[in-house]
Amino acid sequence: MNKTIVIFLPFLLMFFSTRSFSQDRDSLNKHTAIQETNYYTLVSVGLTHSSYRDFATSPLFYNGVGLDLNAVWLKRADKRERIFEGGFGISAHSPRVPESNFIQPGGLAGFANFRFYYQELWKLEALSNAKNNTKIGGTFITTQNIRGNPALQNNAMGLENFTNLMASAQWTRDISRTESKQLNLWLFKPTLKPVKRDLRFLLNVGVLNFNYRPGYAYSYDSEMNGTDTNPVSWVFSNYKWSLNGFRLKTQLEYIKYLPNGNARSWSYVWEAAHAPGKHEAFQMASHRLQYTIHFHTKKR
Amino acid sequence: MRYLILIISILLFSSCEKALFKKDIGSIEPLENFDYLWSEVDKKYSYFELKNINWNQVRSTYRPMLSENSSEEELFNVLAAMLNELRDDHTNLITPFNVSVYNAALTGAKNFRGRTIEEFYMPNPWRTGALTHDFLSNKEVGYIRYSSFMSDFSDAQMDLVLERYKNTKGIILDLRENGGGSIFNVPKLLGRFINSKTLVGYSITRNGGEHNEFGDKEEFYITPHDGIRYTKPVIVLIDKGSYSATTFFSLATKAFLNVTLMGDATGGGGGLPNGGQLPNGWNYRFSISQLLDLNGDNYAEDGVPADINVAFDWSDLTKDEILEKAIEEIVN
Repeated sequence: MNKTIVIFLPFLLMFFSTRSFSQDRDSLNKHTAIQETNYYTLVSVGLTHSSYRDFATSPLFYNGVGLDLNAVWLKRADKRERIFEGGFGISAHSPRVPESNFIQPGGLAGFANFRFYYQELWKLEALSNAKNNTKIGGTFITTQNIRGNPALQNNAMGLENFTNLMASAQWTRDISRTESKQLNLWLFKPTLKPVKRDLRFLLNVGVLNFNYRPGYAYSYDSEMNGTDTNPVSWVFSNYKWSLNGFRLKTQLEYIKYLPNGNARSWSYVWEAAHAPGKHEAFQMASHRLQYTIHFHTKKR
Repeated sequence: MRYLILIISILLFSSCEKALFKKDIGSIEPLENFDYLWSEVDKKYSYFELKNINWNQVRSTYRPMLSENSSEEELFNVLAAMLNELRDDHTNLITPFNVSVYNAALTGAKNFRGRTIEEFYMPNPWRTGALTHDFLSNKEVGYIRYSSFMSDFSDAQMDLVLERYKNTKGIILDLRENGGGSIFNVPKLLGRFINSKTLVGYSITRNGGEHNEFGDKEEFYITPHDGIRYTKPVIVLIDKGSYSATTFFSLATKAFLNVTLMGDATGGGGGLPNGGQLPNGWNYRFSISQLLDLNGDNYAEDGVPADINVAFDWSDLTKDEILEKAIEEIVN
């Protein structure tokens, strides 16, 4: 996997570089003069298609659809931005079972996850100009999965955690319509007003990838201290932190600003993670279509 | 156009988890499923040595019975027979058309008949949560039937039951044919019969590829319950149908001076069962840990012996000889 990242990343950055240097010098100076900082509170809802596979309990992929909710605090300026996000997702999954010649096995698993995400990005002047803003920085992300699959008996509960420090790159392209434009659609000739819009692409690549996974036997007969034993600590007592695997996250976002400073956006978010743990691997991936409302709370 | 190409490129780049993950290994191929299950058991099953099982030999015996053309029914029969070599009721193969069971209870005589109790000893018992109970022998003895550790009872309910029998000479706790359930109900019940924290055993869990590779010994303590306790004599009735959590319970009582086991040895089930899925979607489970007594011995998997052996006489269904003996022990 590390090879894949190494191959893709330079291509992506090279693409940004090509676009940036084709701009003229005047517009670049004009752009860097903007110094205002905007504060937003974002609320988003997403429809997710996700899949996972926990080799400790099953060699099969589990696929499903679900709902995601996120609340975000965002501080955005031309030169720097900071984002803090809390999210929650819930979905229903079924195993991708090969077709039986007899009676088809099935099953249903519930999947929920909680996420916290903190990111800081700084502008890369060399790759930015009036129309393009490129920022790089770092992200801390932690995700706690809670899975339930009754068919797996005492292994019914899956509780892995992914915590990652990621290298981040964000490219924003200003695709605003600066002048009114009339469309010619047979009988209809609507006039499109000027509007501020952005197209944004964010790439996060895991640099330090921690995961918290069960021990060798997955279930574990842990210490029993009478009725004082806490079932949660009993379940987690053989879990181990590992530093291995990978995590990737990308987001392609189209943002349309309203005259009052608020905005709406539509995003496609893709995420993939692989956690070998100490014994058996866990893999998950998700594709999310997300709608976000940006409430402009403050300008400075 | 440039932006369209860019967006498509990003979407393609962003959807490549199939290239990043190992291939899908779901399969209905009989030999692949056999090898997968055999290997999972080999890696994690906990009682190969106690039961003197040569797992490689088991593979050599059963694998040739299958071919790529074997039907699903044939595959089930072979996998079930292979798992039954483990002689363990915590081991099952679960499919939509059948479930494999070893049935340890059939290795001994049946020693419980519920109707005999209901008809001739306790025609109108109280039913408090999962506990069925009443007085016996002119209110000298309290009888409590707990038929499954899967069934719960609240602290208030247990307080009520023990308060009811506080003036008896002793209690009979009937765990015959209690097939087990939640391990957390074991200390919840046993904590009513002691006054100080007591170490009652240990457990170890597979921690590596070798059959004798286990993690550290984990202590198993019983702590006194905060509610009403009963420290007069308690006789626990057990038999081959007493399994899993009931075996944990029975082993723990060996450290209790006021508790006596009566009946037949339990059926075993000292291992914690796991759970998993085969490449064809069928489910399985088997033991991955061992229960040890205070000396570190793992015999509980084959059953915890009774302190007093008594058998049910099926020629006279009006009498429960095990219960009669328990009453006699308490009253006299």
